[in-house]
Amino acid sequence: MSKIYVITSGKGGVGKTTTTANLGVGLAMRGKKVALIDTDTGLRNLDLLLGLENRIMYDLIDVTEGRVPYKKALVRHKKYDSLFLLPTSQVKDKMAVNPEQLVKLCDELRKEFDYILIDCPAGIEQGFKTAIAAADVAIVVTMPEISAVRDADKIIGELGRADKENIKLIVNRIRPQMVEAGDMLAMEDINDILSIDCIGQVPDDVKVVTSTNRGEPCITMDDSQAGQAYRNIVGRMLGEDIPFMTFAKEGFFARLKHVFGK
Amino acid sequence: MSEHIVSIKGSSDGLQLSFAPGASFTDIEAEIRSRLESGSGFFLRGTLVFIPPDVLTTEQRTSLQKLFHAHGLICRVEHKPDAKDKPAAKKEQAVKAQVKPAAVQPPVQEMVVVNRTLRGGQEINTKSSVLVCGNVNPGAQIIAGGSIDIRGTCRGFVHAGAYGDTKAFIIADHLMPTQIRIADLIARSPDNMEKKTERAERASIKDGQIVIEPIER
Repeated sequence: MSKIYVITSGKGGVGKTTTTANLGVGLAMRGKKVALIDTDTGLRNLDLLLGLENRIMYDLIDVTEGRVPYKKALVRHKKYDSLFLLPTSQVKDKMAVNPEQLVKLCDELRKEFDYILIDCPAGIEQGFKTAIAAADVAIVVTMPEISAVRDADKIIGELGRADKENIKLIVNRIRPQMVEAGDMLAMEDINDILSIDCIGQVPDDVKVVTSTNRGEPCITMDDSQAGQAYRNIVGRMLGEDIPFMTFAKEGFFARLKHVFGK
Repeated sequence: MSEHIVSIKGSSDGLQLSFAPGASFTDIEAEIRSRLESGSGFFLRGTLVFIPPDVLTTEQRTSLQKLFHAHGLICRVEHKPDAKDKPAAKKEQAVKAQVKPAAVQPPVQEMVVVNRTLRGGQEINTKSSVLVCGNVNPGAQIIAGGSIDIRGTCRGFVHAGAYGDTKAFIIADHLMPTQIRIADLIARSPDNMEKKTERAERASIKDGQIVIEPIER
């Protein structure tokens, strides 16, 4: 049974694309056949995160407009054989694809892939409506910040209006020290407002930036906390019961000691 | 086919029966009886049934009325002009015909029940009172002519008595809205909102001011 996920957030910059790339790689590492669809037409990024930019031949618009079959547009990941990316166009805009076209495409992809992850653009306009049209499950990504939580709330409302009732939450870029000091929203506060099923808590991790720039998602790094969190999410998506990780709450001095202690 | 002897059309008021021309009363009665006894959900208790006035004799009507009464339905001999005028427009789905009392004597206080969490950007706008079984999140809006009762946390914008009712009030398990309005008075939350309130609270107008007091519930 193939499953279609849309990764959305409302607000920009909370890590939709990063999450999509990591979950895609994670599922492929577990041997699943995965297709990633970038629907952020005009502002495409997903190919960069996967390090596949130079391999793009055709894009989503070519497929939806019937110029090429989807198989030609799919880019195979260089390391993981079962991971494919369907990139979008960098020159067109979001009006170039409509919900019906994406639903039709996903119905075809369903036959071949175990998981289809759709990377949704920010905002609640046309691009968002197109991206969510085909999804079975929506993953809402947010950050412990009131504006991001507010937007996530709005998005959950919009998803409900589009009859998408299966909604999961990922809280990204958590800084344990700041939460402890009361400078950042705690998980309880977020759950209190959003009240939807949370499947992931990802700490803020500098390795995400380096991995993004290198085109290699951090889920592949064993020493990355964010990578571990993403691996846990993948496990939960596959039906495993994994407890949420407790973040290493070492402060500056503890870490300094750690470094010197080596 | 026996189905054609009696045909039933649903309208907002009840069920309108009509009989095939030339059908004998015995057939009609037998048909209705068998349908009633088939126990389909079609004939809900208390449903109004209208039978055409011009076809049957008084005796036949009374006997039909008795039959319907025995099954808990209310039978009226009436000509329903709107059902006759545009029969095509009325859909045949009569599954949930409801009884609407013709003229409600005292104005009944209506209430809108919202059985979910109101999220940012969602809005309830009504002349009646509102009951929310869920939270009202920041960015959500409730504008009610009557009072507002929230069985959950209120963090949004709430306006009770929006059409001038100064007796309207607002109750929430945790009352921490961005702004409260009752009738033409406005109150906003303190800039540094403390923690979640422990007890249910009620906001109402006292001496020309919005006051909030804890309540038991």
